[in-house]
Amino acid sequence: MDYSVNINVFQGPFDLLFHLIEKKEIDIYDIPIAEITDQYLEYLKQMLQFNMNVASEFIFMAATLIEIKSQMLLPQKEAEDDPRQELVTKLLEYKLFKDVSEELKKFEDESSFYISKPKEEMAITSDVKTEQLFLNEINIYELYNVYLSLIKKQNFKIEEKEKFKVYRENYRVKDCMDDITKKIKKFGRVSLFSVFKEKESISKEYIITLFLAVLELSNKQGMKIYQDNTYGDIIIIGS
Amino acid sequence: MNIKSVLESLMFAWGEPLSINEISKILNLPANSIMSVLKEMMDECNGNDARGLIIQKFGNSYQLTTKRENYEYIQNLLQSTVNKSLSTAAMEILSIIAYKQPVTKVEIELIRGVKCSQVVKGLLDKGLIKEAGKLDKPGRPTIYATTDEFLRHFGLSSIDELPSLPGAFLQPLETHSDIENEEEKKAT
Repeated sequence: MDYSVNINVFQGPFDLLFHLIEKKEIDIYDIPIAEITDQYLEYLKQMLQFNMNVASEFIFMAATLIEIKSQMLLPQKEAEDDPRQELVTKLLEYKLFKDVSEELKKFEDESSFYISKPKEEMAITSDVKTEQLFLNEINIYELYNVYLSLIKKQNFKIEEKEKFKVYRENYRVKDCMDDITKKIKKFGRVSLFSVFKEKESISKEYIITLFLAVLELSNKQGMKIYQDNTYGDIIIIGS
Repeated sequence: MNIKSVLESLMFAWGEPLSINEISKILNLPANSIMSVLKEMMDECNGNDARGLIIQKFGNSYQLTTKRENYEYIQNLLQSTVNKSLSTAAMEILSIIAYKQPVTKVEIELIRGVKCSQVVKGLLDKGLIKEAGKLDKPGRPTIYATTDEFLRHFGLSSIDELPSLPGAFLQPLETHSDIENEEEKKAT
């Protein structure tokens, strides 16, 4: 048997299977599963021998074929479906699109006879004169020098850098998330307004942190957020 | 303003398929009336033996192209280039998307039995398909549809011009009633 077929030619396990079926001139509605399975496995072996990277999809199909083969060996009740049915349906659907894609190929070839222009870089010269600056010859030190000389000329005063103060976070997104999650576990749903009302006085920081927590929950944990009308209450429901 | 003259100049300057919405914005005229003028122009141009250019319609876009019968002369003028046609895998995936759109990657993979991410990405880069929204199912998978560029690539004036399929297979694998269409969202 001549198996010297490059596997790259096949678009997938269905394609390979079709090749085998066509080569043997087999009726697709009555596939001799045992025979086809043997042939298919032989192909896989060849592929492995040539050190080809056999895609998992091809191996999955081998397993499917073997499963069908074993089902065929078992005594069948009359009412039972043909174990090959699902495979045949899939094969036919794949074949349909394979055929259609060959049909489309003709359209593609045909359309290449019509030549059109690609979009060119055309621009209308603008009346406004703009000066082109070439920055590639300037380095950061030169820019800094220019900056300093400008400052001097204009007599600007560079203000002393304000001392930077780092504040401790009063609220953390994670804490708020835990808080809401706990409430959802307990009640199933949480109204954002009621969470605000729990605190006697609420700071902007708390509101922002809480909002971020709600967004995180929806993003990471798939919780659903509802709002009936603009500016209305926001309801968070567990996923 | 002579609309026909303006339209011809616009299409020449733009080169690529020019969308009816774009023209409508520029001329400040309703899309319908422009479309009927373009229809007239197509009849005039495309039937005139003395002219070398025709107007082609691809979906909602129009483009000036050369005539089919002049190809061999143009070919002698141009240098032959590498064939730009699509790979077999790309053609298969594109066919599935064209007939089953909007469709998810999983549906494509079910039909072909192989992964398709790379090729889908390639088709997106080429502008032949677009993301048409998300399916409101677990994982919120992206759904794909063909573009006007797809129509242009295959010389189709609308998606209805695709060769027809035996009907039985055209049922979508799952109903897409729960699609959140991003374009509609943008429009509102």
